[in-house]
Amino acid sequence: MAPARKKIAELIKQEEHLKTNTRSTLVTLSTVPRTIKLLPRGDWTDDSGEVLLPAAPEFLSSEGQPSKERLTRLDLAEWITARENPLTARAFTNRVWALFFGTGLSRDLQDLGNQGQWPTHPELLDWLSVEFVESGWDVKHLVKLIITSKAYRQSSNASPQLMEEDPYNNLYARQNSRRLPAEFIRDNALAVSGLLNPQLGGASARPYQPAGYYAQLNFPKRKYQQHNDENQYRRGLYMHWQRSFLHPMLAAFDAPAREECTAARESSNTPLQALNQLNDPTFVEAARVFATELVAKEKAIKPRLQVAFKRLLNRPPSGEEETLLTELFNKQIKRYRSAPDDAKKLIAIGLALPPEKVDPVDLAATTTVTRALLNLQETITRY
Amino acid sequence: MDPLLANSLNRRAFLQNSSYSVGSAALLSLLGQDEATASQWRGTLAEKLHYPPKAKRIIHLCMAGGPSHLETLDYKPELAKLSGKGMPTSFTEGQQLAQLQGNRSKLKCLGPQHEFKRYGKCGRMMSSAFPNIGSIADEIAVINSMHTEQINHDPAHTFMNTGSIIPGRPSMGSWLLYGLGAETDELPGYVVMTSSGGGQDQPIASRQWHSGFLPSKFQGVQFNSKGDPVHYVNNPAGVTRADQGELLETINQMNRMLGYRQNDPEIATRIAQYEMAFKMQTSVPGLMDVTEEPKNVLEDYGATPGDGSFASNCLLARRLAERGVRFIQLYHRGWDHHGGVKKGIETVSRHIDKATAALVKDLKARGMLEDTLIIWGGEFGRTPMAQGSGRDHHIQAFSLWMAGAGIKGGTTYGSTDELGYAVAQDGVSVHDLHATILQQLGIDHHRFTYKFQGLDFKLTGVESAKVVKKILSNS
Repeated sequence: MAPARKKIAELIKQEEHLKTNTRSTLVTLSTVPRTIKLLPRGDWTDDSGEVLLPAAPEFLSSEGQPSKERLTRLDLAEWITARENPLTARAFTNRVWALFFGTGLSRDLQDLGNQGQWPTHPELLDWLSVEFVESGWDVKHLVKLIITSKAYRQSSNASPQLMEEDPYNNLYARQNSRRLPAEFIRDNALAVSGLLNPQLGGASARPYQPAGYYAQLNFPKRKYQQHNDENQYRRGLYMHWQRSFLHPMLAAFDAPAREECTAARESSNTPLQALNQLNDPTFVEAARVFATELVAKEKAIKPRLQVAFKRLLNRPPSGEEETLLTELFNKQIKRYRSAPDDAKKLIAIGLALPPEKVDPVDLAATTTVTRALLNLQETITRY
Repeated sequence: MDPLLANSLNRRAFLQNSSYSVGSAALLSLLGQDEATASQWRGTLAEKLHYPPKAKRIIHLCMAGGPSHLETLDYKPELAKLSGKGMPTSFTEGQQLAQLQGNRSKLKCLGPQHEFKRYGKCGRMMSSAFPNIGSIADEIAVINSMHTEQINHDPAHTFMNTGSIIPGRPSMGSWLLYGLGAETDELPGYVVMTSSGGGQDQPIASRQWHSGFLPSKFQGVQFNSKGDPVHYVNNPAGVTRADQGELLETINQMNRMLGYRQNDPEIATRIAQYEMAFKMQTSVPGLMDVTEEPKNVLEDYGATPGDGSFASNCLLARRLAERGVRFIQLYHRGWDHHGGVKKGIETVSRHIDKATAALVKDLKARGMLEDTLIIWGGEFGRTPMAQGSGRDHHIQAFSLWMAGAGIKGGTTYGSTDELGYAVAQDGVSVHDLHATILQQLGIDHHRFTYKFQGLDFKLTGVESAKVVKKILSNS
């Protein structure tokens, strides 16, 4: 009996181990479908209507009507992507277009139907949609087509007359200037400084957030704990999303709370955005880490500006800009030389430690310059 | 000359004549108030108002969700008699209804779920569920004959805020800033706050306070109601106000240079908003410092500052008004009583009744009610027909009230039929309401336009709108 007992004990142990150490997952079981009846004038208390089988709405299409066999979700998927159904490709193409131009060819991204808006260029929308379908629904092909087009590569710098005559850019005689979306503004600052952690997927990241922001959050009460590792620097896309208490940076730059589906975001321009970019530790730290690299690379302010402009704005500074920023730098050197403790405080903001051998006064003054650069309209706008 | 244009010309002249150095004069312009900054926020009508204005500012208490007129301001004894009985189909046949689908002959009346009583010297019948609002009956003018065009929340709010059901038009507050300018450059001229508690927390899109085709600096700015109203007002450690001032002046100079190269109206707005941000770093802590408020004031409102309640927002609204904010909009989002309207009304009353009355009384005691226009109301009303124990959305008739700034207190204007279904007399459209509001601010709505896409756009749209003169003491 002993070997049998031993085996039983082993199996029990194994079962316990499996129960406690295996990850559970959600599984959908196919059940017997509910009986669905026609509701006379939508009255759900009236069950006198005839029994119905799944089908596409009759007004949309004569295809996909009840067949002998009950239609399944696969039939629905096939119906959505059928060659005879132009809507899916058109809606998708319209949204991809909006990613590159700020607005869709049909301005209403959430409704291509009767209550939406007629496309400015219906033939172009149709052509792109057909091209998209015929390429095998190849998104890269669609994107390449758009970004290599003459329309996309135009300057956004239009004459005042053109702006007045065509305020919504219906003629595409220029590119639209676009303020970057909230997440991109964060990603850009982190990427420029080299702090960005480009890791894909995984759990949400929790960046710095004003203390006590969740104090009023209830059911259950909870305390925000920022990440103190490389998760601090993950992309905006992965930021923890508390719908009723959206991170102030996301809220200020028009990210939706995700309480409802949002196809198109507003693009506002408020003092709250300025306060955010000036004082949010994420941006102060990014500016300082950016400055650290400049200080290490170049001794004088002018070459530092050359490196910084190339990285951030993809162009060299103008003479006037150089003069202006050098003046700021010199004043800040003077000021932090008279108060080196303030310099140390400024460069200590954030998790990333400043190098030990750095001159705090030089780094603090350079940080003021990079803060200025990160705050520029040109930095957060695609022109 | 268009002040916006004048402004940009000044900027260009400044750029051409300066060597882009940050002189002490430039820094002073940030630290103090100079003419350039002041003119930036001056309205197009600032020195040429059409009438002597009664109102300088507006506090809009927006009861989002669609308050039932039948449990608040519209007394309907006949509806009580028919409660539980069939709703005569003569009212409903062929009419648009929201959720009450099905056979019209099956619809039943729901009598008012709260008793009405006489309030004030005017003796107006008002719901006893709001005794504190009852106590200011003689201060307020009630309109019982409002009607609107949109039966769902979001488009109805859009219509109430912008005068159009199409998104993308400027909101009321943006129009006011454009026309009248701001009285302060220390705080945004148009502040919005939503409160929590007391219902379903109706979603309100930021589109509701957008500036549409007006320059984006006229858009509303949302303050947090819970905790700190504005985040990041403090400088980073090791940065003094003078440091921050120099930094800001450099940023703005750089942006001005960009504005010289690039034709983008957002650049001018960005510059203005950085100046505003710098000023808010000192004005917001002052705004929030309620230690100077006597205990009895906090008690009158029922406010615990920072708790995110409507009451706290009302107190903050008064402090914003004192500091020259032009348009203050407070949303309470608990009025969508499809079911349980009796209890629902009791709940919202606990959240808004006391504070609303306290706000009116407090403004009056400070002599501010005479130039502050208060508007209380929602985006539509609710059906006299039952939806279970509640009421459905209703656009044929609803009620709201106004107070202060030349509004004749104690007046009741317009009426509905005996069941409160449709307007019977003196209907007031949303455009009529807008025309009346503009009139109190000294603006003739016909002559207040903005040219866009070859059209002269107006807040009141293209159909005729009329000022509701009978509720005004100045006519």
